[in-house]
Amino acid sequence: MVSDSITNASIHAAPNNNNNARDVGKKKRARSAKLKQCKLDVRREQWLFQGAVKNKDCKAEQNGVVEERKDRNNHRPFGNLGMRPGGGENDGSIHHHHHHDSDLDSNSPNSLTSSVLGSNYSETNFTGSSSSSSSSGGCCSGNITEDDEGGGDDGCLDDWEAVADALAANEKPKNPCLESPPEHDPIAQSGSPQETTIGSDGPSFGVENSKPQCARTIPKASGNGLAWRPDDAFRPQSLPNLAKQVSLPNSNRKHYGCGGVPWAYSGVVSVPSSCPICYEDLDFTDTSFLPCLCGFRLCLFCHKRILEEDSRCPGCRKPYEHEPVEAEASVHGGSLTFRLPRSCSLITRS
Amino acid sequence: MQASRARLFKEYKEVQREKVVDPDIQLVCDDSNIFKWTALIKGPSETPFEGGVFQLAFAVPEQYPLQPPQVRFLTKIFHPNVHFKTGEICLDILKNAWSPAWTLQSVCRAIIALMAHPEPDSPLNCDSGNLLRSGDLRGYYSMARMYTKLAAMPKKG
Repeated sequence: MVSDSITNASIHAAPNNNNNARDVGKKKRARSAKLKQCKLDVRREQWLFQGAVKNKDCKAEQNGVVEERKDRNNHRPFGNLGMRPGGGENDGSIHHHHHHDSDLDSNSPNSLTSSVLGSNYSETNFTGSSSSSSSSGGCCSGNITEDDEGGGDDGCLDDWEAVADALAANEKPKNPCLESPPEHDPIAQSGSPQETTIGSDGPSFGVENSKPQCARTIPKASGNGLAWRPDDAFRPQSLPNLAKQVSLPNSNRKHYGCGGVPWAYSGVVSVPSSCPICYEDLDFTDTSFLPCLCGFRLCLFCHKRILEEDSRCPGCRKPYEHEPVEAEASVHGGSLTFRLPRSCSLITRS
Repeated sequence: MQASRARLFKEYKEVQREKVVDPDIQLVCDDSNIFKWTALIKGPSETPFEGGVFQLAFAVPEQYPLQPPQVRFLTKIFHPNVHFKTGEICLDILKNAWSPAWTLQSVCRAIIALMAHPEPDSPLNCDSGNLLRSGDLRGYYSMARMYTKLAAMPKKG
């Protein structure tokens, strides 16, 4: 239960964070900047400490904070997942389907797949699990990155300024989350029960949710759990990439501070460093791009190509139902459009 | 450069690097055409194909990896899911279950797995499929073994 609640919380948190980030980000930019740096430092220390000893505790706290927000927003996470069209019932069923499918896949091609693609699969799975457990902080970064990606989808890939803006907006929301965790712990607890109840509706469902969220959150989560240890080893690789790919100094630093490190780590370990489809290196945007609940990652170019063809996830062979998510993200340039889908999903759900 | 070509180049490098890793598979790219590959795979042990070396021909489409490669046996093989004359292979991952995440190498592994676990219910070789479906394992084994010896094993003397 504990773990479940945590995962749920983290999941919920992620969407909230996004919302918050967007809503709050614009308002709080000025003020958040100061807070961020302070908190980031604090946070790092926390990570160093807790990450090594207990990842869960930190997560729980953070999750709790996140949960609060979630509670307000309620089931936004699903909206993020792209479930809106289906509605509440559909959500459950869809998730179940995923479950089955994944099982089936594993059975049929899997014997093969496991051996053949095993590397990819296992990696993704691991990330999922890790993220689920530790998603608290990660959620923020993951979501943010998604947003960025969405921007990329829109065709803004080349437009670094836009990306930078998006990053900045995202970061700001992060800070509040990061700061608040300790304070909100009690709240978080209160929130968690609700989450669990939701999960109870469909157990597999809950798990599924946690997965996708996790995947998104993976970067952070992994960062939280592993903190800096792995990071040290992998730093040399990831850092240069960051410098190259993210030309935004401010946002970049922030990311680095909050989720950047974890991200780097995850990129090396849990997240494949290259796109399994085209074998090109995944850049920052790609790394934080999680198009499918199964956790299969690929670069935006390949994703687009696949959408134009059979539109099935290479990892689980399920059709990309999450196009809405992307659409969301892509549209997200206007915050209004973004909210609309979510609110719809909320309505359908409730 | 097309994505398919780029990807095949990457796979080629990968193959060069992993040659040692999987001794059962030897993937070779055509010298002049990267869309043509051949593979030598060893028959899996504890099957009638054990000890045989089977040659596969890959024809990679331009849309690869979004489209699966076309693979067929160049070596004669008696297997319910392989057409006895053309060498065409009936394997889901080469058709509707294809995923771009698969590679030529993984396709080879899949084919080896198919050799060890035939699917007599979707036969391309009806004779072979019927033997299995009627429960005549011994008949299937001996037929497959014979063709393995005839076609896939170096002739002695």
